[in-house]
This record gives sequence, structure tokens and C-alpha cells, in this order.
Amino acid sequence: MRKQTPAEKTHRAIARLLSPQKPHFTAVEAQVRAKRNHLGPRDWLSDLRDLPRERFKERLRVNLQRRATMATRTVAAPEPQASAVPYLSVRNAAAALEFYKKAFGAVEVTRLNQPDGRIGHAEISIEGARVMLADEFPEIGFQSPQTLGGSTVHINLNVANVDALARRAIDAGADVVRAVEDQFYGARSGQFRDPFGYVWTISTQREALSNEEMQRRIDEMYRQQEAPATRPSYVREGFRTVTPYLIVPGTAQLLEFMKAAFGGEERFRVARPGSDAIMHAEVKIGDSMIEMADSNPQFPPTPATLLLRVPNPDAVYASALAAGATAFDPVRDADHGSRGGTVLDASGNRWHIFTPLPGDKIFTSFRSITPHLYAAKPAEFIEFLRDAFGGEEIYRAEHPDGTIPHAQVRFGDSIVALAGGRGRYTPQPSTLHMYVPDADAAYERALHAGATSIQPPATQPYGERSGGVTDPFGNRWFLATHLGAPAQ
Amino acid sequence: MKAQANEVEERQLVEAAQRDPARFTDLYEANFERIYAFVSRRVHARADVEDITAEVFHHAFENLARFEWRGVPFVAWLYRIAANAVADRWQSLAREYGRPVTAAPSVEFDDAEIDRTEQRAQLFRNVAKLPAEQRRVIEMRFVEEKSIAEIAKAIGKSAGAVKQLQHRACEKLREQAERELSGKAGARHA
Repeated sequence: MRKQTPAEKTHRAIARLLSPQKPHFTAVEAQVRAKRNHLGPRDWLSDLRDLPRERFKERLRVNLQRRATMATRTVAAPEPQASAVPYLSVRNAAAALEFYKKAFGAVEVTRLNQPDGRIGHAEISIEGARVMLADEFPEIGFQSPQTLGGSTVHINLNVANVDALARRAIDAGADVVRAVEDQFYGARSGQFRDPFGYVWTISTQREALSNEEMQRRIDEMYRQQEAPATRPSYVREGFRTVTPYLIVPGTAQLLEFMKAAFGGEERFRVARPGSDAIMHAEVKIGDSMIEMADSNPQFPPTPATLLLRVPNPDAVYASALAAGATAFDPVRDADHGSRGGTVLDASGNRWHIFTPLPGDKIFTSFRSITPHLYAAKPAEFIEFLRDAFGGEEIYRAEHPDGTIPHAQVRFGDSIVALAGGRGRYTPQPSTLHMYVPDADAAYERALHAGATSIQPPATQPYGERSGGVTDPFGNRWFLATHLGAPAQ
Repeated sequence: MKAQANEVEERQLVEAAQRDPARFTDLYEANFERIYAFVSRRVHARADVEDITAEVFHHAFENLARFEWRGVPFVAWLYRIAANAVADRWQSLAREYGRPVTAAPSVEFDDAEIDRTEQRAQLFRNVAKLPAEQRRVIEMRFVEEKSIAEIAKAIGKSAGAVKQLQHRACEKLREQAERELSGKAGARHA
């Protein structure tokens, strides 16, 4: 096209502006126009001629976004900035463009079509972030994840609100690889696979952390994961310092109940010689062990109250009822920041099935199973636990009248919860199996603090040196030192 | 109540954009069609409508910090920028042309005209929501002013199919326009 002179340009511009008529509208849509009368005075059809071009609206939006990004960026970093832009090879780029619009709110900036119908180059902007893509061209080695069977590169997409965008992406059909959650490096992020084989890590920065702080957090994380490896030698492998020991009638039935209701995994079972009674059994629920044995005249029943931490208390409560438990206290939000309910099993154990509510600080370090003890005078009990077993008080809730509805005492890597007991939660003396560095010394110390002897420490055939005491509140403690030989 | 809720929401959008320029796009999305409808009533050539619309939003972006909430909808502020931009355009052209412009459009911006602008904006939004093929046909037909035959060739369909798409799109737009008109009338009486 010939270039216009400035004079021509001006003249044409004025002619355009002054033209009282819209460009003549050559109507083929007579049928529609005939219906115009239905519309009353509003001639919407003629308005259509003023319709904005879709590309114009998008382009203006992108221009404004660029200005906004620059306005924000000039504060942080001087322009010009080098940048690395991901270039995606996809099978069916047209469909991918539509998907990214729907899933990520992408704005199409550029699309160049090849004569053969493939898209040779396209560019999108996701909240101002540039991404380039094109149809795959296997003939020149530009292959898509679908052709190659995966991609080695993840795209990290930083956005204002990761949760909102993740929902949108999932609605649009993205697969969840890893759900959105807070990360140690100060971001909240999740991972999603798009239908074209790319994995996007969508994230929102929450805290600005120094490299040192991030390193500190990751070290801490690994330390926690390695905790089992640093288990002291006096604790048997697979166990923690304190394990509840359920001495109750009907242990065989109880085992089945734990399997059905809580997904418990039977690890060990041995019968009392010459009878059907179970002499000792071990079950793993979640990350915790429970030991049990049938009660007998020498060891009368001591059913326990156990706090069972689960992600979904409502469902587990229902499954416990279905497995034969009796409802004791229905599931509800408690005012101390957890949601839970209590059931009673056929052997008399109380299971408080709970989950910490968001923001909870009291139960965050609880494992799957935490034994719960009662004492009429909890403050004295806490003192006894300190003096007798070296228990460290880590939490105490206290009512104005001095009663203690909940307290926590830590022994090594285990927590024992305790309370004064209220209403139907009557005190229920229990039996606990606790590993100590030196069973004999621990036994002496406990007696000195006021416990009474059940049996003095002796070396047991199952590889432990262990003795038992009863505390002044009726609970039985088996103080054991693992001797290194495996059980069984 | 609804009007109040909208006002609160709009105010939040404005304040968010004042804090974070990236949020300006929310205001743009909410008001683009209105401004385009306003400008295209006063300037005829599409290139000029687009220029002025872009100018309005760039001006608003630059001056957003100065916008103060006085209980007047945000779009009123945009309309004022747009009205000034249209007037400037006419004047600068008149200066270049060397004679006073007598044919400057004077569209009174009264309640009826505000309604009219809102209706046009709604129509534009409705078109954007049409299925992709229908929208494409409408845009080619009305914006690019292509013939049915040209459109048929461009999108690889028969002329009959293009007419069908156009017919269906126009029918849907007409129904929506009627529904919105009657809905509005109803709301007024409530």
C-alpha cells in the first residue's frame, strides 16, 4: 500500500470524523432486521456495527498490564531486564491456547499460523508472565511431551493468588500432581499437569526469606524426617518412648475392631501357652504403636483413653461405629481448637477421634495415638510425672477455679495428655510401656517419688530389662530398657 | 441493596488498583465496553474510537492515584476523561484543518443516554460470550463488514452455514436484549 502524506492523513481523518453516516451497511440479514420492531426504540442491530474488535480489547489489556508490570518493577529492579521465557512445544497448539486461557486466564498476545494449519508461534501472557508456544514440528526435532512421553522441565508460575488459580485450573481440567500447601521456602504452591503434558508449579510468595533462613528450615525438615534414625538404643525399633498397653478382656476382638475401624495393622500376636488368650499383641495405627494383652487375675483390666489423630474425624467416627463401637460423644468442634468425637469399644477403651483445626497450636505435634490419663488432682500428677519419670510439662490449660481440663507432659519423643476428668470422662487408670535408658535406675526413682512396685526389673526373654510400678493415681508403668536383641 | 453491594465491590477494586497497579486490569475489564460504547457514539471511525478508548484507559491508569472516592461510580470519572478526550480530538483536528469544526457531535449525557450506553456495553459483552464460531461470524460481518461469501471462504464453511451461525447469534442477542430491557423495566417498578 502507498504511504499517505501527512496532509492526506489529516484530510482523511477529518473526513472520517465528520462523516455523519456510518459506513453503509449492506444488509443480508433482512430476516433479523424485520424483527427489529419487536425491540421498540432500541436498535441493537445497528449497535453491532460499533462492536469493539476482540483483538483490540485484548491488546489494550496487555498494554495496560505491561505498563502495570513496569510500574511495579521499576521499584524493585531497573530495566532493562534479561528474561528467560519458556517455549512450549505442544500437540494441538490451538487447543492449548484455549486451555491456558480457561485454566490460567491467559491472554493471547500473538498467534502466527502456518499455511498447513499448524501454529508456528504463539505468545500468551499469564498475569503478565510471558509464555511462548507452538505446534510440535517433529520433522525438525521440536517434539511435544505427548510425543516424547513426558517433559523434563517444570514451569514455575508465580501468581497473586495460588488458591484461586489452582481452582480455576482444576475446573478447566488440569490434573493435581501435588495439592496447594505452604512450603518451607516461604511460598504457597501446588503442582498441576495440563492435558498437553506440561507440569506447572503454581505458587504465591508469602514471605521474603534469606537463603540462610531457607537452609535452616530445610535442615530442620530433614532433622525431623531423620528422627527415627536417631532413636536411642534403649528404645526398641519401631517404637517411641511411651506406648499405651491395653490390658483388657476380648483382645482378639479388639484387634479386629482396630483393623476395621482405624485401618490398624497387626504386627505381632502371641497366645498364652495352653489357652486362646492373647499374651501380647502389637498393632500399628497411623504412625503409632499400641500394645495389648488379655486381662487375667494377675493383671485386671486397665482400658485406656486414647487420642486418635486423623485427617477426617467425621468419617473415622462413622467407621468406628460401623465396626461395632458405641457412640460416647458425637463429633463436634471443641472450643480448644480441635474437632472430634469419642467412641467406646467393646473392651472398654475410649477413643477420642480428632483433628486439629486450622490455626491450632496445641495439638500440632501429636502423633496418630496419644495416651490420655486422668487424675483427680492433675497438678500433683504432673509433679509426680516429673519427679518419678522426668516428664516435662509442655502445656497446661487451667480454669479460673484451678481445675485443669487439659495438660501435656513430654517423655522423650512422646506426649502423654492428662486431665482432671469431668462428667462422663471419669478417671480411667491405664497401663503404659515406657522405654528408659536404665530400667533399674528408673524403677528406683519411681518408687522414691511415691510409686509402688508391681515387679522389680528383670531381664525378659523378649530382649528387654523391665520392671513395673503403680503410680499413686492407679496407672501402671512398665519401665523398660531395650537390650538390642530383636523381639520374637 | 444490590447497588450498594456493587458500590462496595467497585470501591474495593479501585483501592486495590491504587495500591497495586497490576490490579488495574480488573477495572479495565469492568469498564471497557462502557467506554467503548460511549466513545463510539461520538466518533465514527473505528480507528479513532480505538485510539480514544486506549487513551482513556492509559490516562486513567496514570492518574488513578488522584481519583478520590466521593460516592460517584468510578465509570463517571472514566466518562469524564472520555468526554474530554473526544473534545480534544475534535479540536486538534479542527486546528489542523484550519477552520472551526461546526459538526462536532453534541450528545447530551442525560439519564436516557447513560441507559443507552449501558445497553450498548451489555450488547458488546453478550457478543463476547457467544460461542466462538458465532462470535467470529458476527465480528467479520459487522466489524470487518465482510460479505457472507467472504466469511464462508475464510472459515471454510458453506454460505448457508454462515447464515445459520449469524442468524442464531442475532436471535440470541435479540432475546438477551429484550430480556435485559424487560428485566430493567421490572426492577424500576419494584
